[in-house]
Parts: sequence; structure tokens; C-alpha cells
Amino acid sequence: MKTARVIYEDGKHKWIALVRDPNRPDYLIDSNEYLVIDDDDSLLLDPGGNEVFPAVFSALSTEFDPRKITKLFASHQDPDIISSLALWLEFNPQVKCYISWLWASFVPHFGGNKETFISIPDGGMDIMIGSQRLQAIPAHYLHSSGNFHLYDPKAKILFSGDVGAALLPPGEDDLFFEDFDRHIRHAEGFHRRWMGSDKAKRDWCQRVSQLDIEMMCPQHGAIYRGDQVRRFIDWFSHLEVGIVKG
Amino acid sequence: MATVTQDTGRELRRIVRTNEEIKRVVATAFKINLMAMNAIFLAKRAGQTALGFGVLSNELRRFAMDLQKQMSQLREMTYGSVNTVTALVKQARLNRVLERARKESSGSGRSLIDEFMRTRHNLVFARHREQIAALNRRLSQMIADTAQLVELGSVLARSAKIEAAYGGAFSTSLMQVSSDFERTIGEIQRSLESLTKHQDATL
Ligand SMILES: [Fe+2]
Ligand SMILES: [Fe+2]
Repeated sequence: MKTARVIYEDGKHKWIALVRDPNRPDYLIDSNEYLVIDDDDSLLLDPGGNEVFPAVFSALSTEFDPRKITKLFASHQDPDIISSLALWLEFNPQVKCYISWLWASFVPHFGGNKETFISIPDGGMDIMIGSQRLQAIPAHYLHSSGNFHLYDPKAKILFSGDVGAALLPPGEDDLFFEDFDRHIRHAEGFHRRWMGSDKAKRDWCQRVSQLDIEMMCPQHGAIYRGDQVRRFIDWFSHLEVGIVKG
Repeated sequence: MATVTQDTGRELRRIVRTNEEIKRVVATAFKINLMAMNAIFLAKRAGQTALGFGVLSNELRRFAMDLQKQMSQLREMTYGSVNTVTALVKQARLNRVLERARKESSGSGRSLIDEFMRTRHNLVFARHREQIAALNRRLSQMIADTAQLVELGSVLARSAKIEAAYGGAFSTSLMQVSSDFERTIGEIQRSLESLTKHQDATL
């Protein structure tokens, strides 16, 4: 199963990363799932694909009562993000899923009905978890055309979906890294190919550089801390994206 | 818990097998219709010498049309069963993942899945079993009705064979047509019998 790692804790406010399943078959891309807890309330970020559900569920239940999972956040519509929706709904048919309005009628093909989805407008929205206000930050076209990241002003954590993702080789897949230059090599190909719009990229860099971020948590790869966040934004703003090189 | 998935798999294979058998009956029934038209045409050409055969060929044509109506109902039912099968496949897939989740979990996570799967098993699978039972009942009824109808067709074919003997110059070709009838109806009867056997195995 995956490992549940507490990456932030302050009283009743907590972030748990569900990461690195040694039994994951290599034909599935590795993914990180995150659980934000505030008191008894929680939000599961990019709950993952059908195939990783067992690993996510078992790791999550070591830290949190899975019956209390009532809110999901899907940064976008990809199968590695939200194809496990039907399984979460099996456990609790009342589960709500926050997702861009753009995908609200596509993702029900994975499960759920009219009551399941809470559409996020293009400009983003606030999401209350316990007494904590989280912000859905627009990240359209990075890579999905209806795409959101999630900022937690209290924990100063930005969940950044596929942005910041790295495809780490075995043996170099720690949850945190030290050497930025070494790490970013594993992120470069992914960002060049998956990120579709240079303008959207510049908008995003502009937007998030105004946030106070201590940790940037992508859906694949390792977490950026402290100065690594600023370095990433700088690196990304200079990267050429949206071009297929033959 | 593993038996739930196994049951579903068996049920699935059975429905698919039944549907294939129905498709075969439908295809054969279509041939009957063409043959009946051919028989009417022949009887007309034979005229006075084959009056009895002419009456029977009209009956056979009516039988063929009834059979086709019956077949289109069967086909509709086949289509309905596809929905049930799809739901079953989906449930089976969810179940496989849940079983894996159960194996990976420990402590409270595991007992939660245990409890959940018990309730789910009772609710979801009881409902599906009911749906499948209803489907089977309707199918059995329809197969029995069809068998009765085909029995009538078989009697008609036999009488046509007797009438063919009085067909004078047309006797050989009339005999040929009625033998074809008898053989084709026999095919349908065998398919229906094996369908009944599948059904009986489940009831
Ligand atoms: Fe994606
Ligand atoms: Fe992804």
C-alpha cells in the first residue's frame, strides 16, 4: 500500500500526503494524493485512479476515518485524477466533488450524478473545510483547459496538480528533494509536452508568485519547499511549452 | 467475498451464451419466412394438382410471421439483458478493486471494508439477483411459448409433406420444399431445447 505522511500539522489542521506504493505496476503513472483535514472535516485532493484506490484507501485509513471523506477536489478530468470516484461514492453516496464547470458533465462518466458535483467557475472559488477557507486557484490549460490548484493560506501550501510534476526514476523518488537542478531535469520533458499554453503559463506564474507558499505539492513526483518554490516558478516562466518537438 | 465476483462471472457467461443461442434461433426463423413464400409460389404454379399443399403453405406463411413476431420480442429481451449485464460487469469490477482494498488494509480500515462489503453484498446483489431472476422467468416463459408455436409449425410441415405426395408433376419439388421446412423447424426446436436446458440449470 501507499504511505500516509503528515506534511503539515498545526492543532486540528493537517495535511497528509498519500504516496509511493511499492506494489504499483509500472504501467500506471505514480500519483500523489493529499488529504486536508480541519477538525472533523476533510477534503481529498485528486483522489486518484480506480487502480490505485486500494493503495490510497488503505493508507488513508491509517490516519483518518474514511467514512468521514465527504468532499473531493478534482484539479481536472484525467483518469489518474478522478476515475476512482465511483468507489468513493460506493462508500458514501453523499460525497461531493469539486471540479471545473467545464468537466461537470464529463466526469459523471466515471460515476456520480447531478447531486455529486460542485462546479467551480473559471475565476475560482473558496472552499470551506472545517473553519478553514481554502482557495481554488485558476490554472487553466496547465495542462487541462478547465484546471484548478488549491491554496491553503493557513498551511501556506499550494496543491499544484500536474504543475511541478516530475517523473522520478526508481531510487530517486523521495517525497522531498535537495538538489533543485538535479530534480528539475525529471520535470522538464513533462512540462514541455503536457503544458499547452505559454500565455496561461505566464498568467499562472504571475498569480502564484503573489501567494505566500511554503510548500508546493504536485500530483506526481516530489514536493517543493521554501526557496525551491520560487525557483520552480522562475524556471517554469522561462520554459518553452506547447510545442511538440519531433 | 470472492464468490460474489465468481457468481457474477458465471451469470455473465450464461447470459452471453443465451443471447448467442437466441441469435441463432432468430436467424433460422428468418429462413422460414423465405421458405414459406417459396412454397406459396410453388403451390400457385402447381394449381389444381396441389390445392391441399396451397392451403398448408398459407398456414406455414402465417406461422412464419408469428414466429418472426415472437423472435423480435426475444431480441428485445436480449437487448434488455445487455443492460443487466453491463450493470453486473460494473459491479464486478468495483468488487475486484474493493477486494484488493480489503486485502491491503488493516485494522479499522479493514473492518470498515468488511462491514461495507457485507451490506453492499446484501443490498446490491440481492437486487441484481432479483433482476436476473425476473429476466430468467420471462425468458423461460417466452421460450415455452415459442416452443409451442414451433410445435405447430412442425405439424404443418409434416402435413405438407403428405400433401406433396399428391402433387403430380410437382410432387418432387413440393416434397423438397416441405422437407426443407421440416429440417429447419427441427433446427429451431433443438436450439430451443438447449436454451431450455440453460434456463433449467439456473432456476
Ligand atoms: Fe492530468
Ligand atoms: Fe496527472
